[in-house]
Amino acid sequence: MNSFIDLLNILLPFLYALTFTIYSYNFMKGDKILINSKRLFLFITLLLHSIYLILRVIAFDHPPITNVFEIFTVLAFSVCFAYFILELHTDIRGTGPFIIIISLIFQIISSLFIEDLVEVKEVLRSNLLGLHVFSALIGYAGITMSAIYGLLYLILYKEIKLNKFGLIFNRLPNLEILERLSFYSAIIGFVLLSIAILIGIIWLPTAFPNFSYIDPKLIGTFLVWILYGIGILSKVFGKWQGKRVVVFSIVGFVIAILSTTLSNFLAQSFHSFY
Amino acid sequence: MNLLALSISHNSAPVELREALFLQKEEIDEFINKAKGNLLTEGLVISTCNRTEIYGFPAGNEIGFEHVLKFLLSRKPVPQIKNEHFKNYFSKDAVNHLFRVITGIDSMLIGDNQIYHQVKDSFLISERNKFSGFLMKRLFDAAIKTGKRAISETEISEGAVTVSYAAVQLVEKIFSSLNKKAALVIGAGETGEIAAKHLKEKGIGKLYITNRTLEKAEKVAGNLNAKIIPFGNFKEFLNEYDIVISATRSEGFILSKDDIRLMMKKRNYSPTVLMDIAVPRDIDPSVKEIDYVFYNDIDSLNIIVEQNLAKRKDEIPKVEKIVEEEAAAFFNWYKSLEIAPTIKNLRDIFENIRLEEINKNKNRFNPEDQEKLEIITKRIINKILHQPTVELKKLNETGNNSDEASMKISIIRDLFGIGKNSVAPNEKEDNI
Repeated sequence: MNSFIDLLNILLPFLYALTFTIYSYNFMKGDKILINSKRLFLFITLLLHSIYLILRVIAFDHPPITNVFEIFTVLAFSVCFAYFILELHTDIRGTGPFIIIISLIFQIISSLFIEDLVEVKEVLRSNLLGLHVFSALIGYAGITMSAIYGLLYLILYKEIKLNKFGLIFNRLPNLEILERLSFYSAIIGFVLLSIAILIGIIWLPTAFPNFSYIDPKLIGTFLVWILYGIGILSKVFGKWQGKRVVVFSIVGFVIAILSTTLSNFLAQSFHSFY
Repeated sequence: MNLLALSISHNSAPVELREALFLQKEEIDEFINKAKGNLLTEGLVISTCNRTEIYGFPAGNEIGFEHVLKFLLSRKPVPQIKNEHFKNYFSKDAVNHLFRVITGIDSMLIGDNQIYHQVKDSFLISERNKFSGFLMKRLFDAAIKTGKRAISETEISEGAVTVSYAAVQLVEKIFSSLNKKAALVIGAGETGEIAAKHLKEKGIGKLYITNRTLEKAEKVAGNLNAKIIPFGNFKEFLNEYDIVISATRSEGFILSKDDIRLMMKKRNYSPTVLMDIAVPRDIDPSVKEIDYVFYNDIDSLNIIVEQNLAKRKDEIPKVEKIVEEEAAAFFNWYKSLEIAPTIKNLRDIFENIRLEEINKNKNRFNPEDQEKLEIITKRIINKILHQPTVELKKLNETGNNSDEASMKISIIRDLFGIGKNSVAPNEKEDNI
């Protein structure tokens, strides 16, 4: 089984690269034949990636969240999976390359440095921890996508304002749709982060004797959560719209990345396992 | 195939002559009823603002292009018109031309798919007037297939190629669905009317029209089921519109930057599209500096039009390939009509010779040998005809070169005198 896991580990970056190339080629050329078949490549990539993740759980007897490179492969999967569902649901196929490249980067880093750990801390084998981390990761995947759609909104907004009718104008969906995609992704991110925080608050104090409410990762995540909460409520109540909402989403994403990076690599707390 | 096509279009004649020769539906009906049987056995008449074309199979060997032209001009006299304003196509060229027309690559506005519907309607007129026989129906199916393939397999009809349609295309890049949006069209002239029509076709939620002359606004609004806003106070309600298209003949700006700034404030900066398709311009172009205002004038819309036209031109070779394939398929089918009767006629000739000789000479043989004679002569004929029959069938099954096939069939028919004393197969088919 381990050799098959290794094979998939090598194969996955190539599959993501192939899917990314096909989506990008279709974006550039607007080929009618590829418009349907590219989705099949994404599906096959996701299928093999899910098999890879399941096999890792079985082979190493713990969810793949015990080190940063395992988390990267889960993130790669989450981002693309969320995009796949969104593409199926909305039938908007022009934004794929901008999302898939994120998964490609995460997967390349993961495949290069991942280790097959069998011995891990007992707490990392907990199912509740698995649920906590998975919901947080999918939440982060949601806000990543929200930021990407936000960025695409701003680019298209600028192109239309400047009367530039090139590739971006021709291939991207319209501004309202990009705003909606950014908003829906933010909602998904917000809901899943809420679940992750809730599980964390209930379970972490019982699991860790040195638990602290002033843990930097906890504070950082909570701040991001509040930021998105304010943004979503402002949009729902009609106070904010368009550019302001997407800028807020991009700023939220940058803060989320900064707070996660800083709390993971700089601060030492009970919340760091690697 | 003796299909002929007579065409006057933007490629051969100026607009005033094309207009003068334009045939209304009733005139087409009348033309067909007079031409049917006397001039053409079956045919098709296409008449649009850019072209009038007559396709048909002559009712007699003596009938040619000049007869069709004379007949057309006798029904619709145009004194200034000359022979050189017309183009003539025959047989394969006529089929090719029809396929080029239906795909839009022969149109003034390349890829204009309106012509597809116009050709389709023309076929229906022929059918209704019983002017469409076996060959014409098959030609109709092939033409429709060619038109559909061009639309679905290429991008020949994609993108806006008129300024008013480009305006609507741009609106669709900002709003996802127009059915919840409100639009105001300022000016009820031709440009304004076309823009309003495009918005209506795209399912705009609410459509308002304003014009200096109320009667004109009423006429356009009536046609499009739109509401009228008095020109004197249309600015009071500006904040209610997501889209404003202006196409008046005013000398100065009718909407200033302050008007739009006030409008945006009232709209809480909800995105607004301003399309100025008037010359000279109606809206102060500095409004584009205001956030969430998407302003475009005729020059910026022309950029879209030119880009789309260039893209359509790039698609022409793909469409030409489809035309070529479908014309070849049509002629292969047509050729198969000729091959089967040729084989039969050839066998009939040999059988007649055999019977004639046997009848002449059978008394020279005793009754037992007469039966053997019958068998032997039949075998000889079969052996002689085996190779030509196989070759002819091969032409039908594998031949892609219909010219070569037609030539071979023609040589056989000439050598053996097939069709000289009897009705030619294609003439037979014409009467089916």
